[in-house]
Amino acid sequence: MVKMTDVATISFRQVTRKRLRFFLTVLGIAIGVAAVVGVVSLGEGVRSLSVEMIKDQSDLTLLEVNADIRDGVTIPITGQKIADIQRDPGVVGAVPARRITYATERQTFLSAVDAGSAGMQSVFSLTYLDGRSVETGTGEAVFGYDLAETLRRYEGIRIGDRFTLLVRDYDEDGRPADIRHEFLLTGVLRERGDELDRLMITDTGNKDEPFDAVFVRVVSPDVVFPVVDRVEGLGLSAHGAFEQIRAVNKLFDIIVLVLSGFTGISLVIGALMIMNTMIISVFERTREIGISMAIGASSGDILRLILSECFIIGIAGGIIGNLLGIVFAGVINSVGRNVVIAELGAGFSGFAGADIVLVTPGVIISGMAIAIVLSLISGIYPALKASRLHPADAIRSL
Amino acid sequence: MAAIVRTENLQKVFGRHVHALDGISIIVEEGEYVTVTGRSGSGKSTLMNIIGCLDQPTGGTVEIAGQNVDYSDPEQLVSLRRSKIGFIFQQFSLIPSMTAAENIEYPLIFSGVPGSERKRRTMDMLELVGILDRSDHLPGELSGGQQQRVAISRALVAGPNLVLADEPTGNLDSTTSNEIITLLKQINEEMGTTFLIVTHEPSIWFGTDRTIHLSDGKVVP
Ligand SMILES: Nc1ncnc2c1ncn2[C@@H]1O[C@H](COP(=O)(O)OP(=O)(O)OP(=O)(O)O)[C@@H](O)[C@H]1O
Ligand SMILES: [Mg+2]
Repeated sequence: MVKMTDVATISFRQVTRKRLRFFLTVLGIAIGVAAVVGVVSLGEGVRSLSVEMIKDQSDLTLLEVNADIRDGVTIPITGQKIADIQRDPGVVGAVPARRITYATERQTFLSAVDAGSAGMQSVFSLTYLDGRSVETGTGEAVFGYDLAETLRRYEGIRIGDRFTLLVRDYDEDGRPADIRHEFLLTGVLRERGDELDRLMITDTGNKDEPFDAVFVRVVSPDVVFPVVDRVEGLGLSAHGAFEQIRAVNKLFDIIVLVLSGFTGISLVIGALMIMNTMIISVFERTREIGISMAIGASSGDILRLILSECFIIGIAGGIIGNLLGIVFAGVINSVGRNVVIAELGAGFSGFAGADIVLVTPGVIISGMAIAIVLSLISGIYPALKASRLHPADAIRSL
Repeated sequence: MAAIVRTENLQKVFGRHVHALDGISIIVEEGEYVTVTGRSGSGKSTLMNIIGCLDQPTGGTVEIAGQNVDYSDPEQLVSLRRSKIGFIFQQFSLIPSMTAAENIEYPLIFSGVPGSERKRRTMDMLELVGILDRSDHLPGELSGGQQQRVAISRALVAGPNLVLADEPTGNLDSTTSNEIITLLKQINEEMGTTFLIVTHEPSIWFGTDRTIHLSDGKVVP
């Protein structure tokens, strides 16, 4: 059996014998690779830009963990699971909470969170516009900025006021029988720009009722997804700004796939060119192949030699294709950036200096792999044809 | 002396009616220098191809160096071609993209001979046929006679027991032909390699041990 280095040397010589033909064939596959690399880089660039925007504009490290329903069974938030989350290396703070919906006596609905105040402080870093935080086990409450505004205006509730909230319940006959709770407003939060602006925070110190949420603060944006995975591993569901990133990624997966599918047509043409070239080349060398067999080449040797020629075309196509693709991506970047930034409007002017293309190592490696694999596939038929030549007939030809 | 080639009632029918070989039974002894002659179409090339394991007979048997050739076994055919048989064709049988030295080395690559050993044997061959100074030339840069010297080296480099030459001087002028014939005869005498040579030229008869004359696929007694 022939050594691979010898095969490589021989086939390199063969394939570069007709320089122009080799160059054109390589160019055929290279253009296909370049198109895919350019378009995928654009997709990846816009994807990462979008993700950056989300990271910029939202509080990525905050998660809300909830009980999940799997196969019709509710998986509750147990003390064990809360402890697991709190021990997670990616988690700075985690506070279990109950979400409650109240109505005022004048039927204004409001959402409240009942959670340990120290835990809330560590997860949300609460700052007060006015007043102070609640104390555990009291009927004290703190309002988010917007809620405070609304209730002050329409219900006249201010810091230091006592007020009554109702929880809808039903009596034995199924008639509504609201339960009344008394609260004392002790503080109002500063405006945050998140959900807390519309929430009321209490700390009943209730140990009996189960929790239906855990608020989690993650160390840094980079570890959000691993933490989410571990939380979901506990059978719970996690929510937060990361879901937007997930959605964007899913969307771009599809966009990139569709775009590369379209540009992939040029790869098919490149592959057909290789097949055509190799069929011609094998035909031209019929006698030479017959003679090689006469002096000791087996069918397998011939197959390997021809496939190795295709492999070389593939490598050359991959390298040139990637280089062209990077150039192509650069052109898209410089021409397209202004257009994209202009379309997005002034709100995104912070990204004016950012690249709209991203040539990732994955794209380059895929470009190379596609070129090699396609070349080898295109070579199968010509290589089989060559290896099945009948030596005597092949030598007789020409 | 042992027989290196033994054919028994060899038949080769192309299509339905072309009896290229029609009952050939020959024996070639080890070390012999035998020529095969006959009119065009008499079956000379067909016989060489079958003995050389490039084509299969439609009837009869062939034995090479004591081995019965099974033409349905590609591995045996390849191994015989690699180790027992060397081929010299008419002109233009060299690989045009390889230098003289690389052409000679080529068969050794398929038999898996290590690189250094290949280089050494190639140099020996170039020296033997007297074209050491042309080792880096491509076939296109060599004269017809020089090309055939490379082809002879390539046929001999793996140390075959039997060399089959199908009109090795077919395209050469008479002076060059004579040089090539002298070279082949010299190799036969010095190295003891068996030669089976197809030719039209009577000149080659000189120095041959024996001539097998074919006519219409039969040996003329
Ligand atoms: N592949 C083939 N298909 C059909 N007929 C063939 C084939 N090869 C050879 N023949 C026929 O077999 C016969 C013998 O051919 P062969 O080539 O052996 O003759 P030859 O003695 O070598 O002739 P030449 O001196 O012209 O080379 C001829 O009639 C030829 O037409
Ligand atoms: Mg002939």
